[in-house]
Amino acid sequence: MTSTHADDDLQTVTLTVNGSERTVAVPPHRTLLDGLRDEVGLPGTKSCCAEGECGACTVLLDGRAVNACLVLCVEVEGRDVTTVEGLSRNGLTDLQEEFLNAGAVQCGFCIPGQVVSAEYLLRTNPSPSEEQIREGMSGNLCRCAGYQRIVRAVQATAVRRGGGHD
Amino acid sequence: MPKYYRPTSRADALTALAGAGTGARPFVGGTDLLVGLRHHTVEPELIVDLKGVADLPEPIVVTDDGVQIGPTLTMGELAAHPLVQRWYPALVEAALTVGSVAIRNRASLVGNSCNGSPAADTAPPLLVHDARVTIASQDGERTAPLVEFFLAPRRTLCGPGELVIRIDLPRPAEGSGSAFRRLTRRRGVDLATVSVAAVVDSDGRVVLGLGAVGPRPIRTELPGPVDLTDEPALIRLLDEQLEVATPISDVRASREYRVATLRVLAKRAVLAAADRRTSREMAS
Amino acid sequence: MTEAPERTIEPLDLPADPGPSGQVGRPVLRYGGGDRTSGAQKFLADLSFPGALQVALVTIPVGCADVLGVDTTAARAIPGVVDVLTAADFPSRVPRFGVSHQDRPVLAEGRVNYHGEPVAAVVAETLDAAQAAARAVRVEYRELPGVYSLDAALAPGAHLVQDPSIRPGDPAAATNVLEDALYTWGDLADEEARTSVVVADVYTFPMVTHFPIEPGGTVVVPTDQGGLDIYSPVQHPYLLQRTIASVAGLPLNRVRVFAPDPGGGFGGKQNPKIEPLLAFLALRTRRTCRLVLSLEETFQSMRRAGCRITARTGFTQDGEITFHQVDADFQIGAYADVAPRVMAKGSYVAAGPYRVPAVRIAARAVLTNTTPSTAFRGFGSPQVAWATESQLDAGARLLGLDGLEVRRRNLVAKGEAFVRGESEATADGEWWQSLEKAAELIGWGEPLGPNRGRGIAVGIKPGATSGLSQSLVRLLCDGSAIVYAGTSDMGQGARTLWQQIVADELGTPLDEVSVVSGDTGTVPFDLQTSASRSTVFMGSAVLEACRDVRQRVLALYAESTGVPADQLSERPGALVTPDGELSLPEAARQALGSLRGEFIGQGTRRLRGKGNHPLGGDAAFYEFNATAIEVEVDRETGELLLTKHVTVSDVGTELNPLQVVSQDEGAAIMGLGHSQMEQLLLDEHGRIRNLGALDYRIPTFKDVPLELITGAIENHDGPGPYGSKGISEGALLCTAGALGAAVAQATGVAIPDLPLTPERVWAAMEAAGTDRPD
Ligand code: FES
Ligand code: FES
Repeated sequence: MTSTHADDDLQTVTLTVNGSERTVAVPPHRTLLDGLRDEVGLPGTKSCCAEGECGACTVLLDGRAVNACLVLCVEVEGRDVTTVEGLSRNGLTDLQEEFLNAGAVQCGFCIPGQVVSAEYLLRTNPSPSEEQIREGMSGNLCRCAGYQRIVRAVQATAVRRGGGHD
Repeated sequence: MPKYYRPTSRADALTALAGAGTGARPFVGGTDLLVGLRHHTVEPELIVDLKGVADLPEPIVVTDDGVQIGPTLTMGELAAHPLVQRWYPALVEAALTVGSVAIRNRASLVGNSCNGSPAADTAPPLLVHDARVTIASQDGERTAPLVEFFLAPRRTLCGPGELVIRIDLPRPAEGSGSAFRRLTRRRGVDLATVSVAAVVDSDGRVVLGLGAVGPRPIRTELPGPVDLTDEPALIRLLDEQLEVATPISDVRASREYRVATLRVLAKRAVLAAADRRTSREMAS
Repeated sequence: MTEAPERTIEPLDLPADPGPSGQVGRPVLRYGGGDRTSGAQKFLADLSFPGALQVALVTIPVGCADVLGVDTTAARAIPGVVDVLTAADFPSRVPRFGVSHQDRPVLAEGRVNYHGEPVAAVVAETLDAAQAAARAVRVEYRELPGVYSLDAALAPGAHLVQDPSIRPGDPAAATNVLEDALYTWGDLADEEARTSVVVADVYTFPMVTHFPIEPGGTVVVPTDQGGLDIYSPVQHPYLLQRTIASVAGLPLNRVRVFAPDPGGGFGGKQNPKIEPLLAFLALRTRRTCRLVLSLEETFQSMRRAGCRITARTGFTQDGEITFHQVDADFQIGAYADVAPRVMAKGSYVAAGPYRVPAVRIAARAVLTNTTPSTAFRGFGSPQVAWATESQLDAGARLLGLDGLEVRRRNLVAKGEAFVRGESEATADGEWWQSLEKAAELIGWGEPLGPNRGRGIAVGIKPGATSGLSQSLVRLLCDGSAIVYAGTSDMGQGARTLWQQIVADELGTPLDEVSVVSGDTGTVPFDLQTSASRSTVFMGSAVLEACRDVRQRVLALYAESTGVPADQLSERPGALVTPDGELSLPEAARQALGSLRGEFIGQGTRRLRGKGNHPLGGDAAFYEFNATAIEVEVDRETGELLLTKHVTVSDVGTELNPLQVVSQDEGAAIMGLGHSQMEQLLLDEHGRIRNLGALDYRIPTFKDVPLELITGAIENHDGPGPYGSKGISEGALLCTAGALGAAVAQATGVAIPDLPLTPERVWAAMEAAGTDRPD
């Protein structure tokens, strides 16, 4: 993807993605979302609104959930990114299993973002109440509207991890 | 095609900003900038990323007189700060309505203020807490009350070559309380249709901050101490004082609805703030 | 796309003995669900096409204009730009396509008819270059006084959206009415004479957009043989294949459609839209051309028809409906797509599932300079149900009845007609059971708190009226099986059902059944994935293919073992021999012997339409739903808090209860979207003011009712496998009616316009002077 940019328009960025160091050359305006999908070759992170409203692109940046569509590739030099592929490197996680068990997965397009947001929620709040789950997940849209199923999945995971809420 | 620059010192940042003039955009969370880039509503020549600058003010410093907030403090960090929670509950409530968790992990309080959006959720509470802004340039620093900082939609005192490096919040008066209320089109993440912050002090003096009801966020005070047990009187006072608001009709709401609900939210914010005031007195 | 077999994760709460009907009826986990949670599932935008050219569309910022010139000079000068296609590049006229009317040009031809209609397309080596070039294309245009509302389109002398020349032989060609429909029965005058109360109102239903989280897109690959491979997440791959073959002048076998699973379709991904343009670009450049739409472009390519319904309904003193009159105008947009059928099919049930002696329903599909509307979950029924259900409540309020009682008194019994006259339709289920169950689950009749209200409503939707689904099932020599079924799996979980059916019918373990779909080159014909038809149509075809396999196993077993065929019999999962039962996979193994090989079964389910039926045939089944909602209103701001939402559907048989719950909850929340917050707003130039995710609001986690309960009625009385019916739309048919009635009770004001935004509820209370409770 270089032909419209003179080579000096491209900036080299080295980052850690899912535990491995990666170097990409990108123009400054390239978002982390497009960088991950097109340059790093990890299409699990999805693009929908491309402006921070849907959460389909959620990844962990230095352990914090962010919208990858609102991050520039060039600013993640030396930083650590975890995508949905990174979460499921050793097979499905307990959280992903509970998404399936709860019937939360319909078309699946929003699900990678939901899984990353839910993982972040549980890491920052191991025993979330239903209200806290709704609040914590409210940046992730699901048009198949598996919201109630996803809440159940997060609750079940919290219980499996020993942090259930009563 | 913008260029990206990540200075490591404040001097370098200011030099870069001065050099590129109106073509430069300071960058912290980018939650507004990237949307603008996508739609080509902003086309900066230079993006100056402040996250690598070592000698900017700390994200947050607490003193006896209040808190000082630096350019890199995110909404999430702000809302999670125990002292901010204790001293500025309205600001915490407002920060927690900014976007989603993921947005709040990126968006900065200073950056949000510098966008100059009349609907910015954190502007009303910052106004009622009498925030002051420090603006730096190659020529030095100046400070101004936040109320003078907002000029017009998307326009602030911070001009080309300048950078807001700090927002100072004085410690609220002993025995005062604050609260924030807003109205949206849905319960989940949304931009404010109307927002109100209120501070009520121990004597019943009321300061209001109003969002999305004028070309810029508004700060206003009710005349004299208010008897908060007399709700009809409060409503009358609010009706008069809220004349300062000049809302417009847009895609989110009509003028009439904004005028009407502004009064409702203001009343609720004042009563909630007054309540907090009482409960803190009782607690201490 | 060929899919590898999946690991299936068993649910934790298995019944100890699944019994003879094994997998069907169990909450089997979603086929392909693992990949969908791990990010491994490949949607269209995730497929890699090395060396593909990227496409960007050129549009103009008005809804209606004459295009005077397109200057591509600056665009072509941008490095990396390969081609810029405009209408002038077509040898004669720009080809047009469409389902019922061939009215939609591949690119705007001299005239832009809606905001977002592409005027030109840029093809470049990179997306950055394509987008920069698209911005550099200069379009000179003259804005026209477009018609952006029903009133404007129907006014005398209104601007005509379509040039009469593209509607030859149509007597209405000089108006903006594209089609109309009229359904009448009974004697209105007689019925009016015995009527005690009449209610009348004008209801509106907004234009709303599908907002699939996957925006969609198309990739077209020219093949060495001069054909085209089309990649598009469509619900109807075979229709797309036919459309491309026809506009490009290719035989069907040289057009191969690969349909990756749609990331949400809801009807919006049924019919071809941008694919013909991409096909032309690929043919011109001889290169792979790729366009992934932005969400904004998706908004500009699909929406639901808005609707205005004038209704007049009579009741006896006892609350029995005497007559019902409806004039329904559907605002369909600039091109027909499938909207005339939405109008005809929706208005067909505009008298609801009720016993109404006299009815007159007149409906029109009205062209406007807006996004062409298309199929959208519910297909016209939610619009008419909003009016009909609100009318019932209005009547009930006048008569002092409650919403449940008035429906009890009018709902048809099983077998009773709710559409009379030549094209009669009768209830195909015990619908009263759903109504009663919804009432019970919401706690109908329990005391209400302050500012609270409760509403109940019902909705029906005709299922498919014709259809054809073909399936192949291969039972392999080791007992595993592959199903070929063209149903698009867009979230409803079709593959899971096929897996369950095959597991039960052939005795193959669930995780050894794989399903192939989404490739017209390998998978047999399926008419479409729409109208909740797949369970009934494709499900029956798969079932039949399995039975065909069993027959073949029996025959070959007889031949290879010498046991006479008449001493053998088969049943689901087993071959019965004189020496006892063999599992079918084992019998197959023995029958196939050392040469191995496999059994191939075929199944077809066909429903022929009726030529004289206004819908083209009787519906294969009806979706019936009852919804009850309890709401609390903030009387000062108009905000609604949904405290409880119950939806009960008449499902026949739940083949997979987990998937039924997912579909019902999803439809219920989608129904809340158009009832509470969704609406496309236009400015005076016909531009969408809330174009994009920032200002077009759909429900979020926090908008889900505090309690959301779904229930199902199972009487095993559907035409699908094991007595099933389609279920995917029911829970949104009457959401608006239930919410509207609840809000009316809480506020004392009935609001005829959707969505019930806080502002609208507040304004209605203001107007009625009920804003300050005393
Ligand atoms: S794609 Fe990033 S939030 Fe929607
Ligand atoms: S599963 Fe389809 S959008 Fe969430």
